[in-house]
Order: sequence, then structure tokens, then C-alpha cells
Amino acid sequence: MQLKILAFAQAQDRLGFRERVVECAPGDSPRAILASLAPGFDGAGVRVAVDCEYHDWDAPVGAASELALIPPVSGG
Amino acid sequence: MTAKEIVFTSGPIVAPALALPSREIGACVEFQGIVREIEGGAALAGLQYEAYIPMATRLLDRIFDELHAAHGCAAVTFIHRLGWVPVGQASLFVRVLAAHRGPALRFCADAIDRMKADVPIWKRATIRPRR
Repeated sequence: MQLKILAFAQAQDRLGFRERVVECAPGDSPRAILASLAPGFDGAGVRVAVDCEYHDWDAPVGAASELALIPPVSGG
Repeated sequence: MTAKEIVFTSGPIVAPALALPSREIGACVEFQGIVREIEGGAALAGLQYEAYIPMATRLLDRIFDELHAAHGCAAVTFIHRLGWVPVGQASLFVRVLAAHRGPALRFCADAIDRMKADVPIWKRATIRPRR
């Protein structure tokens, strides 16, 4: 299946892209998907969201269509 | 809650005209977050904001429902500016309407705290305006 990866703020800086589409399986976790996409990516302090909901780095993404990397937020 | 308005805008924030949803409204609390010149000891011209709008909207909607259950307010208006915001201009506007000031004040404070903890909005101090 295809999964859109979104990287915001510092995560975009570290990865060098804002948006990318990858091939993955429903049983894959965000951690495994990122390890495959960007082996050197340091996700320290970064949360992950799947289809607009915060998600465990090690839980399967299921039938999701979008995965977002959420560095520490700072709105306001 | 009778009304929730969540807006992200790239232009200056203009406070909407006050519309009372009922004659039981006794408190209107408004908060504006203003971009300050000094951030981390450095003088800035402004801040650059970005958001993951679909997720931010969904989270804010849920947060407002939870705060309504806790504090019982009648309406909330939330406007966050994105893009370049110069020093002295508002990046955030929140208006809460309730029967009494206590719930309205608590709703407003809690909403901002929850936003700052979880809602995917970011400010960046190092980026200059793109012209």
C-alpha cells in the first residue's frame, strides 16, 4: 500500500523533505517505515501521527493513508 | 457547546464581531497572543508559523468538547495566524462565551495550555519573511 509521509518544522529540516510517498505494509510500524526511508533519522523528541491521530512508534500503521512526524509543538 | 469556530489564516487576525448565542451569556473572555521582539535573548523581526491543519483542527475540536464538558461554556472562537507574523501583531485569538466568568476564564486558559502541549502548530524564530 502507499503511505504519504509528512514532515513538519525540525523534522522537515532533518529529513530534507516535506512530503513523500512510500510503499509499505499494514503491519509495518512508523519506526520501521522511517528506518527504511531515512536510516540516519534521529527521531528523538518527535511524535508520530497516523491519519491525524497520535500513534505509537511501534504499533502497526494498519490501513492508514498518512503518517506525520510531529516535533515539539509551539503554537500560540 | 452551541458554537465552535476554528480558523487558520495567513493574514492579520481580525476579531470577529461579537454575536451572543443566547441571553444567558454573562461572560466574554478574549485572549490575544502577541509576537514579542525578544525571544531567547535575541531581537526578532517576527516569527514564522506553520501547522498541520487537518490534525490541528481535529485536536482543537476534541479539546474544546472536553473543556466544554469540564467547564460548560457556550461558544469558543479560535483563530491562529500562519506564515510570517511581525513583532507586535497577534498570532493567536481566543474568545470564550459562558454564563459566568469562572468557567470562561478556565476554559480559555486550559485551551491555550492544551494547544501548547499537543496541537501541531510550530513557530520558528530564525526564518525571515519571504518576499
